[in-house]
Formats: sequence, structure tokens, C-alpha cells
Amino acid sequence: MFRFVMILVALCFVFPATQLVAGDSPQEQRHELMEDSKNAAKPVGGMLKGEKPFDAELAMASFRTWAEIAGQFGDLFPEGTETGYDTEAKQEIWTDRAGFEAEVKKFAKVANAAVAANPQSLDELKMAAGPVFKSCKSCHEGYRVEKE
Amino acid sequence: MRWLLTALVLAGFISWWLTEPGSLTAEALPEHQPDAVNGEQVFNTGGCASCHGADLSGGLEMSSDFGTFVVPNITPDVNAGIGGWSMLDFVNAMMLGVSPQGSHYYPAFPYTSYTRMRVQDVMDLKAFLDLADPVENTPGSHELGFPWGIRRGIGLWKIRYLKQGPVVDVDPGKTLVARGRYLVEGAGHCAECHTPRDHFGGLDRALWLAGAPNPDGEGRVPNITPAEDGLGSWSEPDIAYYLESGFLPDFDTVGGSMVEVQENMARLPAEDRKAIAAYLKSIPVRP
Repeated sequence: MFRFVMILVALCFVFPATQLVAGDSPQEQRHELMEDSKNAAKPVGGMLKGEKPFDAELAMASFRTWAEIAGQFGDLFPEGTETGYDTEAKQEIWTDRAGFEAEVKKFAKVANAAVAANPQSLDELKMAAGPVFKSCKSCHEGYRVEKE
Repeated sequence: MRWLLTALVLAGFISWWLTEPGSLTAEALPEHQPDAVNGEQVFNTGGCASCHGADLSGGLEMSSDFGTFVVPNITPDVNAGIGGWSMLDFVNAMMLGVSPQGSHYYPAFPYTSYTRMRVQDVMDLKAFLDLADPVENTPGSHELGFPWGIRRGIGLWKIRYLKQGPVVDVDPGKTLVARGRYLVEGAGHCAECHTPRDHFGGLDRALWLAGAPNPDGEGRVPNITPAEDGLGSWSEPDIAYYLESGFLPDFDTVGGSMVEVQENMARLPAEDRKAIAAYLKSIPVRP
């Protein structure tokens, strides 16, 4: 038993927590992914704002998180999850599926491009992160309900 | 009985005189060569396209407690737009809310803010608008309930609410804050949504920028004073970065009708976004 628990604990370190929440509803999973995404934006945004020094590794960690999230995100909006868990998903996700999927695809594309760019300076970071931030914004405008 | 009649007639004359639309004469315009490049910046600060439409041909319907306002065409089309206007016509419309025919505009057109602009900036804006493509679209008329349908009455409203001076006192030595005040209180017309209105639709200056009901429906337009539930926890770089990128300090993204405003602000020089941030952090806290 002890060994089993230890293996589980070890697995938690190997795999990001988001992959182990399979028991949660899609609404909760996608909410978590968006929270992770937002948290990944904080160090990058801090550098862009000039509040934190440029840190290539930290930036790359965020880029990888985004690329990973973008790969899973689109599958978390099956029929029947239009409501519940206080979801901020707009109905357009289901009525305009092609448009939504195009946004998710764009997110994956720019996140992977950012990883590939591997920025080594603040200017390069701006170039790499800009399109990702833009894709967050444009998808939210079309497919997220505005609360407050 | 006769005294009553006399009083009524007198009251009629006084209110007619009080509500007379006052406009400037050509001599009031300064010597100035209009600069369309600066005009474009003024255009972005004002976000003219957010209401007048991407092609500026108008038609957007704005519902309010007083009825429905229809946004006019401001393209250079001579018949449908403002192509036939002189510089003086334009300045009178923007800064005094008076049409070329000499009647009052409804303050849904936020001249109560534009009245604080430098005349030169208004002239530059016209030079920029003159470059747009003319569009023939003629939007419909406003639909307003009694007594709001009587334009002349706006003259009384203007006595109470059309004030040229700045709202917040700023130490003249603080040039960045003063620039921010000029942008926010003038062309940016931020208070038109972020300040609550009284029963007559005038801005409640005691609650300057303290947030207001959302005219588009649910929720509230946020408090942008340095209050706890306003911008208290935001730094000046946070505000400037938000206006540039659309990301809040917690890295959520801008939403609602602020999206277009933010995207216009992103087109301003970085120094202007800094100025807006400096002003917003310096104004009195309101609940």
C-alpha cells in the first residue's frame, strides 16, 4: 500500500495535475485549464510590463504550458456541457463550432510557435508572446460570456 | 388673473432666452493649420468608430431611459454625412453641442466631455475625418418620449451640465497627470460610462468615475477610482499595460464594450497610456 501511494505521489510530479483530474466534469476541467493558462501568463506579463527581469526558462515553461493546454482544450466542450459549474462558455461554442475550433487551433498554433521561437531577449519574448495573448483575447470575445 | 398671464408670458420669454443655442463665431477659431496625423490620435482617443461605426456611417441605436438615440453619419458625404460642414460648424457641434442649423444636440453625443478639448485638437480631428470615404447611408431619427423630444429644452440642461473646466484639480506641476486628465475628461470621455447619472441624465460629479449601471444590460461599468473595489490594487504600469494589451493584473482579458475602447487606447502613444494611468491613480477615491 505504501509503495502504491508513493508511486501515485511520484506520478503527480511527473504529470501535471491537470492530467489527473479525469474524474472531474468537462466544465471543471476546462475551468482548471483556463486558470492554469492565466497563471502561466503572469510571469510572462510581468516581464513584458517591466516588473520582472527577463527569464528565458520561466517564459518557456509558460509557453509549454500553453501548448499543452491548447492540445486538450478543444475536447472539453461536448454536447450537454453548455451549462453547469458556473461555466462562462458562450452558446456560440455549440452553435458556431467551426469558428470555435478555428480559435482553439489558432491558440495551439501560436503557442507551439512560441515554444519553437525560444526567445532569448525581452524583444524576442514580446514577438513570441504577443500572438498568444492576442489569441486569448479574440477567443474570449467570441466565445466567453462577459461576467461583470 | 392678468398678473398670472403676464407671469406666464414672462416665464416663456425667459426660458426661450435661456434655451437659446449659443454658438461660436468664426473669429473665435484660433489661427491653426489642421493636422490630420494628430487628428487620427484624437480620433482613437475618442473612439469615434465605436459608436459611429467602422465606416463612420452611423445607424447604431442606443436605448436609454429617455428613448432611443440613433447615431448619425459622420463621413464626408455631403447629404448623409458632415461633408458640407465648415470648421466652425464642426467646432460648435463638438464643443457646444450645437448643429450647423443652430439647434441643440442631445448629450448622447458626449460634447459635455469634448467641450474640455483644445480647439486645435478638435480642428485636427476634422482634418482626419475629412479623409474618410463618404458613405450615403442616412440613419433614422431619434425616438424620444415627452418631454425629451423637445430639443429646445436641452438649453436648460446645458446650463446645469455643460461645463468647460476640468473636473478634478491637478497640481499644474504634474504634467503627466494633467495630460491624463485632458485625455480622460476630454476626448476619451471615460466618465460618460464610468460615472453614474442623475434623473436628468447628467453626470453625478460627486461620484466621478466611481462606476455606474451598465447601459448595455447586466452588471456594472467598473469603478476606476483608486478605491478598493476599483483600481486600488492596480499599479500605474498595470493600468497602462491593460490599456495596451487588454490584460488585467490577474491576466484575465478585457470584456464587453471596453474591448473596443481598449483596442483604440492601444493605438495611442505609450506616454498617453501612462498619463491616463497616472491620472486615474491620482483622483479622489469614491466608493
